[in-house]
Amino acid sequence: MKLELARCIKLHEDKVWSLDFSRGLLASGSTDRRTKIVSIKPEAQVTLVDELDDSTHSKSVRSVAWRPGTSILATGSFDTTVSIWTREETEEGEEYDSEEDEASREYSNSNHDNKYVMELLAIIEGHENEVKSVAWSYDGSLLATCARDKSVWIWETDEIGEEYECISVLQEHSQDVKNVVWHPSLPILASSSYDDTIRIWTDYDDDWECSAVLNGHKGTVWSSDFEKSNNNSNIRLCSGSDDCTVRVWKKLNKGEVGTSVKGTDDINDGNANEEEDEEEENDIYDNDDKWICEAILPQEHTRSIYSVSWGPNGMIASAGSDGKLVIYHEVEDKNEKNKMRWEVLCIKELIHGIYECNIVKWIDVEGELLLATGGDDGYVNLWKLI
Amino acid sequence: LNSITESTSDEESDENLKSLTQSTHLIQDTIDPIDAQEIYDLTAYIQDPEHPLTLGQLSIVNLEDIQVHDTGNQKEMAEVVIHITPTITHCSLATLIGLGIRVRLERALPPRFRITILLKKGTHQSENQVNKQLNDKERVTAACENEQLLNVVSNMLSTCK
Repeated sequence: MKLELARCIKLHEDKVWSLDFSRGLLASGSTDRRTKIVSIKPEAQVTLVDELDDSTHSKSVRSVAWRPGTSILATGSFDTTVSIWTREETEEGEEYDSEEDEASREYSNSNHDNKYVMELLAIIEGHENEVKSVAWSYDGSLLATCARDKSVWIWETDEIGEEYECISVLQEHSQDVKNVVWHPSLPILASSSYDDTIRIWTDYDDDWECSAVLNGHKGTVWSSDFEKSNNNSNIRLCSGSDDCTVRVWKKLNKGEVGTSVKGTDDINDGNANEEEDEEEENDIYDNDDKWICEAILPQEHTRSIYSVSWGPNGMIASAGSDGKLVIYHEVEDKNEKNKMRWEVLCIKELIHGIYECNIVKWIDVEGELLLATGGDDGYVNLWKLI
Repeated sequence: LNSITESTSDEESDENLKSLTQSTHLIQDTIDPIDAQEIYDLTAYIQDPEHPLTLGQLSIVNLEDIQVHDTGNQKEMAEVVIHITPTITHCSLATLIGLGIRVRLERALPPRFRITILLKKGTHQSENQVNKQLNDKERVTAACENEQLLNVVSNMLSTCK
């Protein structure tokens, strides 16, 4: 398999930091302080549909996130604020339809015929300094934000998305929190930090608590992403770091805590005592979950990994300062049956020319899976795996 | 500012390139690689934030502590690693000096360069902490959006040629 460039789009005048794709629309945030929205149709047809009011943020837009199933967008900025945007209902109730005009389907800076106006709905203040990441929970009811002030805030909102109430301030990281990401179908949050750890946060009776600390990376953890699995008893997370490694972490289920240590299923029964001992040793929190580092993926990166994305196809993509895009997949071990191992499927170098890549995301364009990347060159590139 | 200077250096290289290809038909993307002396010349004249002396005069920047990996190919990534020597082991301005060097190099070098700035081993009590901060892209970007800090850095760079 190889990666082929399907489209490259010059969207920004400076670093592209963040991308998010939902319902056919890709939002991008940049150090040029702008947030742009492009529509992506099959065959990688790209059209610029809106540019958010650039007077809202006075510094880099670091993170953008669509609220699931809606036209609401959250953007987090180095200016300490988070802004919330929504699509304005057009008077004619007209939906944007690209089929009417062939020419407008091509990306063009000057073409604003396709009205898609995003209006400012709210500004959320609270963080002391640069906001680094924003993320919506799977049902859209909660927004998580994190900042250099070492904290993660969880905000609750209603259907309209106009009012935000902070329900929790999580302050257990000892350094900047770089990234927050939610599980795709459960109320579980992962935060990655400059303190080299990932923390897992879980809701216990409306009280958000740290349920696990994932130690192992030997440098800033820039990004993490949960596996897109329908099986909620199998929760895994991948992470990328300054230490040039991508790691896969797995939450152990109750029965697995003992067996994983022994590595065989036979010991499972009649060994309750040993499991208890095991738990006592590791218990730090009342509501402790057990996570293990299941795998360190084959090391291909030579500089910081800024972004990882776990695709709905089960593949993990990573990209970073060395300008490489690496795709990994899980295959059955040749020597040991029923054992899976990670292999590199393909690598593409210089994905933004000589510039660094800050973000990679799997995007599903009407059934076709593409990879979107954003670089220091101000470009958003779309890649096809063929 | 960054993008302006970058594009200027690009244009310069483009001009070099044109003259080269026209006269000698050399491979199109390759120009003279940048060497340690050039990196030294770019950084040695930066003024120290608290002394009326330059980083070269104070031996904070030294030619032998600069490593460059550059083929001169503009379509390949290149690398600069600089080890700096703070004047005292508890120098509170080490981070600022490092930032000044980074800003200077990011503005002056072609965009193919990845820049790593490290304190020379054993020269500072918070060596790891300072190193981590100086090479954190996000923190550097944020620092360059802080007007107050940028003014200080601009003053440090005002003595550069």
